[in-house]
Amino acid sequence: MGSAKQPQPGNGITKLTNCRLLRGDDLVFDDLWISSHTGKILCSQAAFYDGFALPDRTIDLRGRILSPGFIDCQLNGAFGFNFSTMFPNMSQYDTNLCDLNQKLVQTGVTSYLPTVTSQAPELYHAVLPHLGPSGATRDPHSGSESLGAHCEGPFLSPARNGVHNVSSLRSPSTLKGIDDTYGPSNTTGSPPPIKLITLAPELPRILPLLPALRSRSILLSLGHTNATYETASLALISGATMITHLFNAMAPLHHRNPGLLGLLGCSPPGTPRPYFGLIADGIHLHPATIKIAWNAHPSGCILVTDAMHMAGLDDGVYPWTNGASDDHIVKQGAVLRLQGSDTIAGSSSMLIDCVNYFLRWSGATVAQALATVTSTPARMLEVEGVKGTLEEGGDADLVVLEEVKDEDGVVELRVDEVWKFGERVFERGKA
Amino acid sequence: MRLIIRDGEDSASLYVANYIVERIKYFAPTPENPFVLGLPTGSSPLGVYRILVDRYKTGEISFENVVTFNMDEYIGIPRDHPQSYHTFMWQSFFSHVNIHPRNVHILDGNAPNLEAECIRYEAQIKAAGGIDLFLAGIGEDGHIAFNEPGSSLASRTRVKTLAYDTVLANSRFFDNDVSQVPKMALTVGVQTVLEAREVVVVVLGARKAPALQHCIEEGVSHMWTLSSLQLHPHPLIVCDEDATLELKVKTVKYFKSIERVALTQGFEQILPTTLRTSTSTALKKPPLPPPTIITLPNGDTSTPPESASESEDSPAIFAPQPVKSRLLRASSPAAEYPLRVSRSASPELDLIPDRMAERIIGGEALRGRLTPTPGTSRTGV
Repeated sequence: MGSAKQPQPGNGITKLTNCRLLRGDDLVFDDLWISSHTGKILCSQAAFYDGFALPDRTIDLRGRILSPGFIDCQLNGAFGFNFSTMFPNMSQYDTNLCDLNQKLVQTGVTSYLPTVTSQAPELYHAVLPHLGPSGATRDPHSGSESLGAHCEGPFLSPARNGVHNVSSLRSPSTLKGIDDTYGPSNTTGSPPPIKLITLAPELPRILPLLPALRSRSILLSLGHTNATYETASLALISGATMITHLFNAMAPLHHRNPGLLGLLGCSPPGTPRPYFGLIADGIHLHPATIKIAWNAHPSGCILVTDAMHMAGLDDGVYPWTNGASDDHIVKQGAVLRLQGSDTIAGSSSMLIDCVNYFLRWSGATVAQALATVTSTPARMLEVEGVKGTLEEGGDADLVVLEEVKDEDGVVELRVDEVWKFGERVFERGKA
Repeated sequence: MRLIIRDGEDSASLYVANYIVERIKYFAPTPENPFVLGLPTGSSPLGVYRILVDRYKTGEISFENVVTFNMDEYIGIPRDHPQSYHTFMWQSFFSHVNIHPRNVHILDGNAPNLEAECIRYEAQIKAAGGIDLFLAGIGEDGHIAFNEPGSSLASRTRVKTLAYDTVLANSRFFDNDVSQVPKMALTVGVQTVLEAREVVVVVLGARKAPALQHCIEEGVSHMWTLSSLQLHPHPLIVCDEDATLELKVKTVKYFKSIERVALTQGFEQILPTTLRTSTSTALKKPPLPPPTIITLPNGDTSTPPESASESEDSPAIFAPQPVKSRLLRASSPAAEYPLRVSRSASPELDLIPDRMAERIIGGEALRGRLTPTPGTSRTGV
């Protein structure tokens, strides 16, 4: 197979037929035309009437579901590689990153935000340049694509640190302080390597800095925070649009002080209710909690894995760089805990697992469940129309899903094929 | 005129789809000599398209060598608008079959010069050798294509203003907002349809019953443009029972008996073999071998004596010609279009040998010239 840069004979058009396309809240029987030359989804009608084009090949998907490729907004690492790692020679970092991208795409995640936890400035300076948007080459064979880095910290509340090392947490007083922490080249540029920052809005003097970050195309999410409903509302007015892993690392809902959770009921006038991440891995949240959040604000619901680098590895004890200290994380099945504590340290689930858990617990339809990892994150990330869509002009990042019934008769989705930029890069059962 | 009546929409659609499939297969189209199919939009043909797509998917029929011409298209909405007829055709038919985009013709409602587009379209139809089978639907007011009541029966492809009824009816596709509905369209003319070698019309549902009644039981009228089909040599109307609600019992029984009797004779719509095969349009290929076997009621079979050489003398009309030469003066607007001048199907008047005088037995004396030309005729007697 050639890459997009070597034009192949023919017009490069593939017609995927006999499939159920995710369109809005429905799965509809339709065809999808994609081009391996442009890596995009075609308007089949225009290709036919204007280009007099017929597909080079037609692939019968035998009634399976065709979804846009999944988007994971919070992935700390996987397959043994942790994004918050420094190497003496950073070319090793790129090698590991490429390896991760190749493996990650096979799980159906075609684009993601590589997430860096609260770390020392040196680590940010070293790793963030490697984690910026990587899709410019439009190479189908580069694996999963970064849409930019997600910095989960270090401007977080020490009271809600989770497993983050309290000593790495900071409180910025100026924009320059933020720039110095991440490295000025990582917060500027078009687009900047950083796509999303999780921060605690109750930190003193942080709210006035938000509009400036927002104007640099950096998205802002609230998390690891003790913020009141009132403070969180001010943060929304200042440009925040998202809540990081709702329920985890924040004050629980109190009926007189709803806190961040209150934003799902009512946001300040003029601002839409925020998107929110849910770790639906079966460990972080009770099924009923997931259902409450989904029902409160379905169009804001985004499933994230918050997976650590132990995702995809065997059980055992793994080292973990956590700010200044070198901690260890114990993996037991899907559960990760900080060694010597009961604190949950991220998850080791794949996004498709989260979708299946969500499907089982939320009462959402298959189409609605898929939206939480496709169109909804794309809207939050302001890449609507490019990612997470099957409309013409969008990138041809696709997942073919088979509906299988488990022993209880519950429908589960299984990733059968993955397409990236118009080419098939994974087929289940084929190496 | 053949009228085929089926119990419901599905069986009527099935009949039409089967008929088209059989026609194409028997025609055996080739790249040099394709089957030229005229196509409608609207709700009536949807079932037909669905069955044709199924037939294609099961491998029974190929549209590789089929050339299509669509009846009409709105003016002033984008080609890929959800309600455009380009979109309709793409979604309900073209995207599901192996038709080649170069063989597809639909009027361009966004052409810079709409008049030129119409003339070009007629020229394309002619260049394709004329339309072998024009499939059509019908409006509640009896319109065929966008030839609304009052359209000239000699009309050709042109810009047409839509009737208010049609605009109102179509507003359901445009958020019930009449202001969004296109008020004009490009459409083939009545004459364009009548020049197809065969016209097959699908009429479904009780709402179409008054139109069907006018078109079958009453005279040719520009207020019910489908009635012009009465002038066509090979029209076939397929309807469901509901569409016959306004017809006389007698009419329904008559057409049903025709079908019944024809079936016992082993044939359905009678088309001359030359029309059924690809020989009539191109005359490039030798006539196809399979002769029609007629099963007689007594069980004997016989091969019709008709052969290709005799077919020239056949009374069938192979290529319907414009009626304008007979019905319209040369100065009529329809004559402005670049038409191939062709011989009228009717004999010239001065060639008629029949004279009253010749019918009088023993009237040889009267066979002299009877016109009052004093001096000449009288002296002849």
